[in-house]
Formats: sequence, structure tokens, C-alpha cells
Amino acid sequence: MSGKMRILTGVIVIGVVAAGLGVWIIRGPGPLDFAGGPKVALADYRAGKPTGVPAKLEKASLVERGEYLAKAADCMVCHTKPGEKDYSGGLGFKLPFGTLYSTNITPDKDTGIGNYSDQDFLNAVQRGKRHDGARLYPAMPYTSYTYMSDDDVLAVKAYLFSLPAVRAKPPENTLSFPFNQRWAMIFWSAVFNPDTRYMPDTSKSPEWNRGAYLVEALAHCGECHTPRNLGFALDNRKKFGGAITAGWRAFNISSDKATGLGNWRDEDLTSYLSLGHAPGHGSASGPMGEAVDHSFSQFAPEDISSIVAYLRSVPPVPSPDLPATTAPVAPASHKDGVTADARGKMLFAGACASCHGWSGESPVSPMATLTGTWAVNDPAATNVAQIVLSGTKRHTPDGALSMPAFGNAYSDDEIAAVANYVTARFGTKGSKLTAKDVAELREQTAE
Amino acid sequence: MHMATTLTVNGETKSFDAPPDMPLLWVLRDILGMTGTKFGCGIAQCGACTVHVDGKAVRSCVLSVSAVANRAITTIEHIGSTPAGAKVQKAWLEAEVVQCGYCQSGQIMSAAALLASTPNPDDSDIDAAMAGNICRCGTYVRIREAIKHAANGQS
Repeated sequence: MSGKMRILTGVIVIGVVAAGLGVWIIRGPGPLDFAGGPKVALADYRAGKPTGVPAKLEKASLVERGEYLAKAADCMVCHTKPGEKDYSGGLGFKLPFGTLYSTNITPDKDTGIGNYSDQDFLNAVQRGKRHDGARLYPAMPYTSYTYMSDDDVLAVKAYLFSLPAVRAKPPENTLSFPFNQRWAMIFWSAVFNPDTRYMPDTSKSPEWNRGAYLVEALAHCGECHTPRNLGFALDNRKKFGGAITAGWRAFNISSDKATGLGNWRDEDLTSYLSLGHAPGHGSASGPMGEAVDHSFSQFAPEDISSIVAYLRSVPPVPSPDLPATTAPVAPASHKDGVTADARGKMLFAGACASCHGWSGESPVSPMATLTGTWAVNDPAATNVAQIVLSGTKRHTPDGALSMPAFGNAYSDDEIAAVANYVTARFGTKGSKLTAKDVAELREQTAE
Repeated sequence: MHMATTLTVNGETKSFDAPPDMPLLWVLRDILGMTGTKFGCGIAQCGACTVHVDGKAVRSCVLSVSAVANRAITTIEHIGSTPAGAKVQKAWLEAEVVQCGYCQSGQIMSAAALLASTPNPDDSDIDAAMAGNICRCGTYVRIREAIKHAANGQS
């Protein structure tokens, strides 16, 4: 080998190693690597059954089992535009580089997935590959769904194919260059999609394994609650440490005692997931409210318990921007406590106080209590502003409770003022939102 | 789905069938026939539907009936038999507060709850308690006067 060749070879080797190292560093650990125990293929696991449906549905038809799994994977929320037919797509996700629209996944042959074979459907859900060979953008959480078993994915397909075909073509995406280059997702997938099915961890209980499967493969909690890395993939070094998604803050759901779920009781978690509310922790709203309505509230009780067992095992990741403890109840009189921000106070008196009270403990319902919630204790006030803009409606076994949307009734400036007053009065540190911040939050929500 | 429900309204026990998520306002007006409480906006933003639950002023249009079982409900029909309510109604008549009157049962309920908890309210207390009660006739000046008169016992 000549000297030149040797140098060239050396450069190539160094380049390949550097690229490999770069990929390894940016990719980081997988979602289940923290557990650390020995893993076996699903077929070789005998201790329990992490995949499939709960016992009561074991004998149900394929379509019924698929319905349970489709709800557990929460397909509907993203694949339905509010007011349109279920699963007919068209919901817009506003990203910094354009808007991405969800697809029609009803069995319509022209505009939906009516022509998908079983293999086509598996390719889409587990590998992010469309029927025509084009790549899906990872807004479709196939890096989570890839852990689903083939049987479960095909049960979901059977359910979707049992629904009425809806003819509906979603709008074209408006992504800018280079994000409009779908083919580039081949490389993204190669780096970030493990393309592997769930492998049970034999050092853990069957309940934990069921919980891990539900959380990671189906419910895809990490897609909102885990921060993203430079490549817009999940950074599992900060697994479940919280992130901003679609303009809402998905709070820390790691086992961190101060800022995560470490100090939640099991019954609080169960209540929050199945009813959308836990006493002293507030109510689910925004994207989590939708996840409760369409997904978690439909879970069998034993599946909720499995999720709780699994969440408990996720290592603590602190959220340094949140206070170590949430603020106590505010004074009962409007005169005590925070008095600054006269404008915010005036708005609160007129529009908010009759339901939320001056102390933050609602005279109407515990679901409307502000005290103890992360939303009012977040100095960025992201979710306070969002819920004021878009309102919320929670359904419980006892009935519904709703907050109106004020987005069209108040200006950005007014919403900033009331959010700053609310976080100062009921939280640990008042926010400093401006009208511009509120305008940006309006822009980020999916519609 | 209708459910047998029992409420305590103005000290009386009322039993009826209603869906658990029916707003208290509907129950009061349409089932119990107590039409003194008014429907305004339906989203807790005008105050016309104000009633007392355990002595606190709440908007009955957003409160589902299942949430108020076992709690004491007081409406405009009965507020005159509470000490604060009696003072408020007397002051209201003497100051001729009412113009069209649609919002007034809500105004009186909010004012009575204010006086029950804050017997001598200043202007800021009145603002904080009454800001959620809207009056399209603009009787706010007379409302403020009447609350002060009721508090002082003069009229």
C-alpha cells in the first residue's frame, strides 16, 4: 500500500469511527435501557403476557381487541380533526418549519388506507414506511409503535378496517426546505428507529413488563414527556423529564420526588390517568386531557395499575426550573397575598374568581382547584396561558365540568396579565409573560 | 341516563330524576320550577345564574347536579330569609337599583354572600366580589351604593 493510500484509508477509518461515535452519542440510550435486566424475545417469555388485551377481552373478536389497542395507542386524537369524522385525518401540527397534517386512516381506498396489506400496515406503524414506499415523518410515533407486537398492530388494522370508509384528503404539508425532503427520513429512521419488538425484562415482574409495553409501545408517553435531542428524537438520558409539545408543557413524569411523580400516591396516579384528576394535583387539560378522554379512561383497571408500577421504576430526572414544592393555599381575601398586577387582578375577579376562588381552592369542584397544580407553579405559565386560551372539559363518572375558552374574548395582553397574576398568587413564582409570548403560544397549538 | 337525585334547596329536601351531568341551573328552573335564578351566558361569565352552595356564591350554569348533592343550596327565592340577604333586598328596593332586572337575582346573591363573609366591604372588596356579575343596564353605581347601605344598616 502506498503512503497516499495509507493516509486515505486512515482518513476514511477515522471518518467512519467519528460518524459512528456521533450517531452513538446523539442517539443515546433506548427507552427501556434504564431497566438493565436480561431481555428475552416475547415468544420466549413465560412469566406473563405483556402484549395484547386485558383478560376480560381475551376471548373477544379481533376487531374488539383491535379497538382496545387502538385506544391504548391513542390513534384517534392525532388522526381526527375536531368536528370531522373519526380517523379521517387533517389535524395540523404546527412545527417551527411548517405545518404537518395527519393522514386519513379510515379504509377509504383513495384517500385512506383501504389498499394497505397487512405488511403495508406493519411497515407504516413499526417502520414509518408508507404504502407507496415514501417515508413518514416522526410526528407519527413509529419509534414507539415499533415495539408493538405484529399481532397487536394487525388487530388495530382489523379495527380500523371495520370502520366506515371516509373520503377525506388532508391538506398538503407546508414544510420548508430541507424538512420537505421526505427521503431524508430514511437516514433519520436508520439512526433513531430501533425497529425492534418489545422484549420483556426477566428481572422485572410481569406487571412491570405489561406496564412497560403499554407505556412505551402503545401510549407513547415519551413522545410528549421526554425532551428531544439535536435530531428531534427522544433524549432518553432525560427520560420523562418533561418537555414542551404542541405549545403545552408536558410535565416531568419521572420518579423525581420534588418535580416528578415521586411524591404522588398510587391512587393519585390511578385517578389522574383514569379520571383526568387527582386531588391536590389538578386536572388533565390540553393534550393530556385528550389522552385521558380517548385513551387512559378506557384502560382496564389492571392495565392502569401496570402503568403505575412501571412509571414508579423510571429513574428520577429533576426539572431545575420548577420549585421544590408547590405553593400552599393562597389567602381567602383578595386583599391578602399577591397584590401587584392590578390589571391581572381585575381580569381574575371578573372572569375567574367565581369558579377558582381567591384562595385557589375552588368553591365549585376539586377539579377546578388551582392550589398544588404544576400549571400555576410553573414560572413560565405555559399551561395557564394555554388553558385560558382554549378552555377545557373533563368528563367524570359524576358528569362533566368545563372551563370556557377565553382565546377569542381577551387580547394577548390581557391573557398575559391574568396568567402572571395567577402564577404569582397561586404558585411559587409569578410569570413574566408578554403579549408576544401569548401570541406565540396561540401559534403552536395543533388544529 | 337519569338518576334519582336528592338535593337540599333552601332548607328543603328535593328528590327528582336527572342526568348526573345536568347543570344545577337546569334542575332549579326546569325540574324544580324555581325560575328566579336566570340563565345568561351558560359559561360562568355573566353571573345571572348565581346561587349559594354552602354559603358561597357559585355559578349554577356550570355546576353539575352530581357535584352538589349533600351541600346546602340557597337560591334567590329564599335569600330574603337570611340576615345578609334581607338587608341586601331592603337596600336594593330603597336605592331603586333595578332597571330591567334580568341580572338582579345574581347581583343580589353575590352581594349577600359578600356581606355574609365581609360585613363592612370597601370598594375593593365590592369590586373583587361583584366583578363577575354583569349588568347591561349599567346599574353598577346603584349596586355599589346599595351594598354600602346594607352594610351600614342605613337605607
